[in-house]
Amino acid sequence: MGLTFRIVWRNIWRHKGKSLVIGIILFIGACLMTVGNGMISGMEKGMTENIVDLFTGDIVIISDEQEKENVLLDMMSGKPLKVIKNYEAVREVLDKEEMITDYLPATSGMVYVLNDRSEMGSIYLLGVDIDRYKKMFPESMTITEGRIFQRGERGALISEEARKPLYDFVEYWVVPQGGELDESKLPEDAKEDLVNLDVRNDVVFMGASVSNSTMDIRVPVTGIMKYKALNKIWGMYCLVDIESFREAHHYVTGADSAVELSPEEEALLATDDLEELFSTGELFADVVTEESITLEELQEETAGETLSYNLDEGSYNLAFIRLTKEVSQQEAVKRLNRIFQENHLNVKAISWKDAVGVIGSMAVFIKTALNLFIMFIFFVAVIVIMNTLSMTALERTSELAMMRAIGARKAFIRRMFVSETAVLSFFFGGLGIILGIVVIYLVRSAGISTTNEILQLVYGGETLSPTFTLSDLLLGLVELAVVTFFSVLYPLRVVGRIVPLDAIVRE
Amino acid sequence: MNVIEVQGLKKDYPLGKTTVHALRGVDFLVEEGAFLSIVGPSGSGKTTLLNIIGCIDQPTSGQVKIHDQEISELNDKQVTDLRLHKIGFIFQSFNLIPVLNVRENVEFPLLLRKVEKKAEINTRVEKLIEAVGLLDYIDHKPAELSGGQRQRVAIARALVGAPDIILADEPTANLDSETSEAILKLMRDLNELEKTTFIFSTHDPEVLKYAKSIVQIRDGMFVGQE
Repeated sequence: MGLTFRIVWRNIWRHKGKSLVIGIILFIGACLMTVGNGMISGMEKGMTENIVDLFTGDIVIISDEQEKENVLLDMMSGKPLKVIKNYEAVREVLDKEEMITDYLPATSGMVYVLNDRSEMGSIYLLGVDIDRYKKMFPESMTITEGRIFQRGERGALISEEARKPLYDFVEYWVVPQGGELDESKLPEDAKEDLVNLDVRNDVVFMGASVSNSTMDIRVPVTGIMKYKALNKIWGMYCLVDIESFREAHHYVTGADSAVELSPEEEALLATDDLEELFSTGELFADVVTEESITLEELQEETAGETLSYNLDEGSYNLAFIRLTKEVSQQEAVKRLNRIFQENHLNVKAISWKDAVGVIGSMAVFIKTALNLFIMFIFFVAVIVIMNTLSMTALERTSELAMMRAIGARKAFIRRMFVSETAVLSFFFGGLGIILGIVVIYLVRSAGISTTNEILQLVYGGETLSPTFTLSDLLLGLVELAVVTFFSVLYPLRVVGRIVPLDAIVRE
Repeated sequence: MNVIEVQGLKKDYPLGKTTVHALRGVDFLVEEGAFLSIVGPSGSGKTTLLNIIGCIDQPTSGQVKIHDQEISELNDKQVTDLRLHKIGFIFQSFNLIPVLNVRENVEFPLLLRKVEKKAEINTRVEKLIEAVGLLDYIDHKPAELSGGQRQRVAIARALVGAPDIILADEPTANLDSETSEAILKLMRDLNELEKTTFIFSTHDPEVLKYAKSIVQIRDGMFVGQE
């Protein structure tokens, strides 16, 4: 053990009281910092797991004509998203990119929900090819009633969170087709008036298209679902088959694209002569049949059949992208945007945080608030430590001046002082970090859950799961080093002003 | 050969609206291997003179040369290195490092000099501690030593780096007569053995019998030399 370190160590013991004061502050600060960083890491991890893995993917592709980027969970505007015009070309790019593990083209937007009295409410829909959705987000939801609609089948999955406001708007309670009413799930007022409760198996959606014309379509409800996490927030979205969404919004459907007309049919449709148009049965000759069939029979008959058209041929207004773990989201966004621009594809890639808008901002806000709190703790710690060290420096003026007198340079004295503070920082700070880690694991194992939306954001999900990673440890050590640095700045000035003459008792 | 040359040395201290003239123009030369005593009553300027020669205070005017090097031309680092390598200090109030034991206090200047050979350090340190008669107290802290023992540690510390000059400001002022005599005898022996130049201040006539040469100072001026 070098003599300098011996001086440092023994001085710490010699000034036990002050060392302890500094140590306790550093201990508490480091502990709070560790827990705070753990919370932030947990929140970020939870956010990533619960939003990226379950809802949005890492990147969202939207039309470059889209003004606002917060295309999901934008509760204020209600404006329909701009349609991606060059989806086929975009698809080619996405298929080629090795950094993309999977992608899900979809449609998202608000629709109105109507009842027989033309009363309406609103609901958010995500129109998807359900097979691709299940492949992309296999863990995202559980079905609590009914079943998931099949690929090619018209159907909607109403979230439990959306069912209650839907009832408030249009005054009917949605139950999946073939399902039974579960009275326990009814709102209180509905329970009290069961006789007059209007129970429906389908929902009438009315979309708003870009041209502002509307179309209302009736979609059967095949199931009620619950998202795995952030249900209170994400539950505003219901899932619907993509073709129903497209129809409601006057988008081109996959079935539209599949229609191939003969030259005669095209010529017939091109005519302006109504007499000629309706004078023959040629147009409908192939599809009109003498036999009658019910809708249920038709569905049964066609179930399991492969689709006669390609769902991917219709319109989309966004696409969710999953990346490989090796690539950073920022780099991927840059790269994709560069490719899109070079190929004039009229789309842009945005991060999931931009896409979820207010939720992403709130996460940043909470993170900033936590960081500010930690910074405040350390600011107080720096001030207290600085004062204590300055007092110590003044008390030791004679001793330090004597060292200067016998040949110690200013740098030696400064190094000794910094070392004393650093030893205290890393000993007590280290203990604080260890306690912080213990607290993190205790909190994690306690499994504290919440249904509060804001707390869910803080938790990064429904359960508080702070985490501690190697990068958190490094961050903690860097923060301790920063505290040490700022704490000794002023005391070092005090020490620097000590001159050898201070060691001498004047005559 | 002169190790110290002092010319027209003046030192003023402002004291409120007045100025105290601690040194009023001192000239003298010190030869290598001298054992010089500066004698004078309290307030005569002895300590101020030693502080300036030892590069821990600066003159108001005048010149001090150590080994022909004008010290006012040196920067802080150079002056510090000069103190470390050329000058040893023995303070009136001992000024030991309280957290270090006798051995560590004595080896401290060698640490500053970055002498890396541990065996060499140990030999030198132990030899000096033995010379000052403190081998039995080698692991004791300053607080566990008497005034005389502390002063002997200070002497050993001043000598450990084998400096050219040792400045001692009233080294026996806080000691009893028996210890004072032992300390002075030790300094004299070291002067003769190591040829180290000693300059010490005192106002004790008993101390003077050990000095090879004496200068008298009064009111900041030399008034006699023997």
